[in-house]
Amino acid sequence: MKTMKLASVFACLVALFSPAMLFAQTDPGVRSNTGVNAGQPLASVTTNPNDLAFFQTGLAQFNEHQTVTGDNPGLGPRFNLDSCGACHSQPAPGGTSPASTIFPNVGPNPQSQVIANGVVSGSTNTIPFFVLANGPVREARFPFFFDQFGNANPNAPNGGVEDLFTVSGRSDAGSCSLQQPSFNAARAANNIIFRIPTPTFGTGLMANIDDSTLLANHRAQGGNNLGISGTFNHNGNDGTISRFGWKAQNKSLMIFAGEAYNVEMGISNELFTQDRPLPGEDQLGSGLPANCLNLAGVGYPEDITHSDGTTASTVTSDVGLFTVFMQFLDQPTPSTTSPGGATSIANGRKLFSAIGCATCHTPSLTTQPSKLTAGLGNATANLFSDIEIHHMGTVLADNVSQGGAGGDQFRTAPLWGLGQRIFFLHDGRCSNLLCAIEAHESNGGEATNVEAIFDQNLSPSQQQDILNFLRSL
Amino acid sequence: MYTKFSRSVVLLGFSVSFLASGQAAPQSGGDFANNRQAKMLPTEIILAKGAWSSASDSVTPLPEGTRVNKNIYSNAYFGFTYALSPDWTQKYSGPPPSDSGYYVLAQLRPADTFKGTSRGSILIAAQDLFFTVAPASNAMELITYNKESLSAEYKVEQPPTVVRIADHSFVRFEYVSPVAELHWHLLATQIRCHMIQFVFTSRDTKLLESLIQEMNKMSLPEEAGPISGRGGGDVPVCIKDYASGENIMERVDPVFAERRFNPVPVRIIIDKQGKVKHVHFLSAFPDQAKAITDALFQWRFRPYLRDGKPVEVETGIMFGRAPRQPTSSAAAAVNE
Repeated sequence: MKTMKLASVFACLVALFSPAMLFAQTDPGVRSNTGVNAGQPLASVTTNPNDLAFFQTGLAQFNEHQTVTGDNPGLGPRFNLDSCGACHSQPAPGGTSPASTIFPNVGPNPQSQVIANGVVSGSTNTIPFFVLANGPVREARFPFFFDQFGNANPNAPNGGVEDLFTVSGRSDAGSCSLQQPSFNAARAANNIIFRIPTPTFGTGLMANIDDSTLLANHRAQGGNNLGISGTFNHNGNDGTISRFGWKAQNKSLMIFAGEAYNVEMGISNELFTQDRPLPGEDQLGSGLPANCLNLAGVGYPEDITHSDGTTASTVTSDVGLFTVFMQFLDQPTPSTTSPGGATSIANGRKLFSAIGCATCHTPSLTTQPSKLTAGLGNATANLFSDIEIHHMGTVLADNVSQGGAGGDQFRTAPLWGLGQRIFFLHDGRCSNLLCAIEAHESNGGEATNVEAIFDQNLSPSQQQDILNFLRSL
Repeated sequence: MYTKFSRSVVLLGFSVSFLASGQAAPQSGGDFANNRQAKMLPTEIILAKGAWSSASDSVTPLPEGTRVNKNIYSNAYFGFTYALSPDWTQKYSGPPPSDSGYYVLAQLRPADTFKGTSRGSILIAAQDLFFTVAPASNAMELITYNKESLSAEYKVEQPPTVVRIADHSFVRFEYVSPVAELHWHLLATQIRCHMIQFVFTSRDTKLLESLIQEMNKMSLPEEAGPISGRGGGDVPVCIKDYASGENIMERVDPVFAERRFNPVPVRIIIDKQGKVKHVHFLSAFPDQAKAITDALFQWRFRPYLRDGKPVEVETGIMFGRAPRQPTSSAAAAVNE
């Protein structure tokens, strides 16, 4: 009798929860059954031996590990890691944060391994609290400067990159002794935000979209009836639309590369010609100490165009090679069948547009003619971005201003390659698409209404179609 | 076993350790802090705002000055009140006005107490007709442009049609997304040279119809209408491009400390003597707002006359970068 009762209760519970379990929408996760679908050069590059050689040299340079002195000099005195390719590696060189346990199993967060790998000295550096072996690669910023009492001062905006590590204690760093920024105190003061690497696949196409195309798209989306109205970030020199970085703060791939080489790796170059102190050392102090300057012993800038080179790729600076590599990276290849099957993906694509996601995540834009390589010209860039900056509200706000972008404005993140990304949003806080979608809703955000439609007006199977579509990209 | 030598090593190690820590005395200020008891910055507050809305005074009502008190939505600038069904609420406030003159006034959804089976959402928005990027200059043109811009995902259910709501004329427009099984019902009117738009979204057309019927309880200003509108009372006359040509008798250009490239849409109210009495920035950095306000208060306009008597005028000026110019073939957005 007791058994019968238990069985009835169990049957009721199954009846109650089965439909929900059956239709509950889930992120299918990183697409792993279609191979790695990014990281290849454009077809027009592959068929041109000179272009391909340039691309391959750029790739090698992108993956090269830098040291303070020696054959690949210039690292530091402050840096976030010693190689572009270590951070931009998921699912292939040029991408974003990797993981060792998720396809294609590139490896653990490389920042978590810097002491073990001898990149930094464990006697002078500690691994910051936000760097985890299974977490995203991160850079840190303090939105505001600290005052002398250790309080964050909201009237003193900072927002610059606080490099995680120093060369201090390395055998090739001489007597340079630098302190890491106060990450724990910044956490205690709620004065720290993070950024993860942006993937660079297809960025040559993004660079080659004319402003007029972006403005026409902006105008076309004007009557969206969804509460959305973005704007553009502009380059401070010529006033044209800037487009790279989480807040579209960088105008070109070369500036993006040159800035990253200096800020993330501490290597001065022809675009950013001095070694970089921390924001406070620069604006409130006296810059880097003398015994931390010219550590490579080669003078400045540490990366230059080589007048003694004999071929295009041996003449070109590292920054130039990075630029060529990124320009020639093709856009990721979406799957038409995985995950969830062709019908679900096609339905998800329609729903994505119908509920308003595509208002900002513009599915495609056409590039202008290209002098670089045929594949970049008059091409369809399936980027799923309008390259506008939008108010994302209080949940995502990082209180960092960059160019014309304020503390809660972010560039619409391009979604191409999303199916094989592990971490989402500017700080990598989500590794589940539903988490990322949910974060689009908050006070002051332009996407709140669209997120509410997704959340409240679609059936679970429709939501699943959208998730499948996103993971097909 | 505890020899003098080992004792010396321990002492030496201690000294080295002490010296090392002494050399790396923690800095304070800038990027460094050593006060773990420091005051915490508030969470989920936007402290670094970038280009934002602001005004020269805190008394004059602004379009973004929405109030949602329980289930009563009111807006002093536009002069309308909208009593919602008690089960609808605003969970999240909207973004600041855009630099193309778009306002999210309210975004409403069923509250936790909502007993219906169908869900939906209500968006109340405004578009400043002085700054719209669309080639339209009144509510009817904007909604028509809206219809013509619809992507292939949608199907028109009712083209823009003039209807009566709460004793005022509105444009009604309906479309559906067959794949999402979602219906959009739009109602728009025009107040103070703004299109005011109510967007109802749901799978349930009966729910949408009942929400639209509730709009009849709205209190609207006399001028509300879909094409021209009529000002009056304490509301200034709104005239597009009034700040141009011979209407400007004295002009002082703002002096900017920093070169920026963002559009800076500004609404001003000119008093009966031709002086600027109120400046509203839809979107501007603080330094831009200060420079422009300082300049505008030195401008002098030809007083606007109605029936031979001077009246206050509201108009718009675009400072900064204005990368696009609407190309409307229709009449300008003028209330008179």
